[in-house]
Amino acid sequence: MIPLAHYLILSGILFTIGLAGVLVRKNIIVVFMCLEMMLCASSVALVAFSRAQGTAGVPVYDAQVLSLFITGIAAAEVAIGLALIVAMFRARRTVESTALNSLKD
Amino acid sequence: MNIVSTYTWCQFAPAFALVGLAALLILADALLPKLPKRLYAGIAALGAFVAAFFMTTGEYANLFGFIATVATGLSILLAFDYTKVCCESIAGNGNEEGTGEFYALPLVACAGILCLTQARDLVMLFVSLEVVTLTSYVLAGYFRRNQGSIEAGIKYLVLGAMSTGILVYGIAWYFGMVGSFTLSAETVYSALNGGVAGSPALAFGFLLATAMLFAGAFFKIGAAPMHVWIPDVYQGAPTPTTAFLAVASKAAGFVVLCSLILPYAPFATPGSLLGRILVTSIAIVAAATLLIGNLGAMRQTNLKRLLGYSSIGQAGFILVFFLQLQVSLEQNVYDYLLAYALATISAFFAVAMVRTQRGSEEIAAFRGLGKTNPRTAFLITVSFASLAGVPLTLGFIVKLKTFVTAVSAIQNWDNFCWLLVIMVLTAATGFYYYFKVLRSMYWEKPQPGVPALRVPLCTAIVLTLSATALIILGTLPLLMRF
Repeated sequence: MIPLAHYLILSGILFTIGLAGVLVRKNIIVVFMCLEMMLCASSVALVAFSRAQGTAGVPVYDAQVLSLFITGIAAAEVAIGLALIVAMFRARRTVESTALNSLKD
Repeated sequence: MNIVSTYTWCQFAPAFALVGLAALLILADALLPKLPKRLYAGIAALGAFVAAFFMTTGEYANLFGFIATVATGLSILLAFDYTKVCCESIAGNGNEEGTGEFYALPLVACAGILCLTQARDLVMLFVSLEVVTLTSYVLAGYFRRNQGSIEAGIKYLVLGAMSTGILVYGIAWYFGMVGSFTLSAETVYSALNGGVAGSPALAFGFLLATAMLFAGAFFKIGAAPMHVWIPDVYQGAPTPTTAFLAVASKAAGFVVLCSLILPYAPFATPGSLLGRILVTSIAIVAAATLLIGNLGAMRQTNLKRLLGYSSIGQAGFILVFFLQLQVSLEQNVYDYLLAYALATISAFFAVAMVRTQRGSEEIAAFRGLGKTNPRTAFLITVSFASLAGVPLTLGFIVKLKTFVTAVSAIQNWDNFCWLLVIMVLTAATGFYYYFKVLRSMYWEKPQPGVPALRVPLCTAIVLTLSATALIILGTLPLLMRF
């Protein structure tokens, strides 16, 4: 059986890649994928913890319920985000975050 | 403890009612395209006010829910007066096609805030918080013919989703360390002592989870490291949405922060190391928020952006209450939010009115209002004076309370004198930038040939009511004293 630590390391790596991507990448669609990766990292951690916290092979289902909610919310976020990206592409003919420069001090 | 048995259906009746109303309005918008869209705005605002009425006393009594619903109702009314700009920016050429949802969606966000006020565990907290933020993304980017609005929507979405990611990761670790999603003093106590096994690794993981949870809450209220979205989004979003974000969404953030921090209250004593770390970090965040908000506001010329920085600064003052984790914390935060909400909403009504008729959101567009519309100018003056904290307004009383809290925290913790100094300085800068608007209204001559503003009905009512409330609530406590 794979120990808990391995799952946590995987989820930590996913989370870090996601966070770094959000901060570094310029293409908003890639930024978006990185955001989803951050949510996936939490799902992995939750499911692993739900097994680890369980007794006698029965996981604590609360955590798995939350990971279902996360999936649902991530889907809603993608729907809104892609709509905004399409609107941005229509207005500016680009999806680079450097083009978002009309609001500043 | 089982998540489902923590709640009763009845608790969520107002939220269900609001979502139901929003669904009906959206359906009607799709099926009856001939109806005037302003009718939807009227019905939605009325629905919000009825819900707010039920939340004043009795079974559904709910302090923060009350502020949030009233603010939602008012921001829908603001959209009602703003229809001209809405139609231009959504469908183009004055057609009101597609504007219906803009009036119905704030109700859904408001329902999210109502669930948030009832949340006693992290799953409910997360899902209802997402209901609020996802709806806000749509509302912020709704003016699709307006470059600023799309930009605000995307910036808000990316930064908001990032903070959600951090919050959820914190929730996952919270669950991993504790084994449940319940927020209670007992769970926190057991986890901080390393759980049943007493392991320091567990306590460390729990602290990490706590830090991530607070980061998520700080994003919502716009506290220092997570404030970057506020100026851009407030400036670019449609004015009714900005009003909603500034008041209702900020109230939601403080609800989250209160419910996250209250389980830690028993530890926040000068004796414990953890208590010191917790309170000192809140003090540092409050100080940084005060400085960034108030210094950033000084050089702004766009009034919506200025109000964005001002909302960061005001959040800094509210954070000072969190130095004393006591029973009256929620009441104090509520009082401050009420004063802030009344003044900010009427400021946004003024911005919308000037934008509709003079086509600009700059402070310079307010010039000469003192000559051309003396009564309106006076009402706007009251709300900005209250934001600055001029005596005889409600803003003064609540700001005084933050100073009292800071002084008692200094006595209690024997520290934080520097915070008091920063509070005095930033309160003083507040006078400078809020009075820029007043200077523009009274000291500058009206532009020749520009007619006086025509004050729309809802704007007149809201400005009058909030100015009256600010003055009456601000003078009453003084009269009671003598």
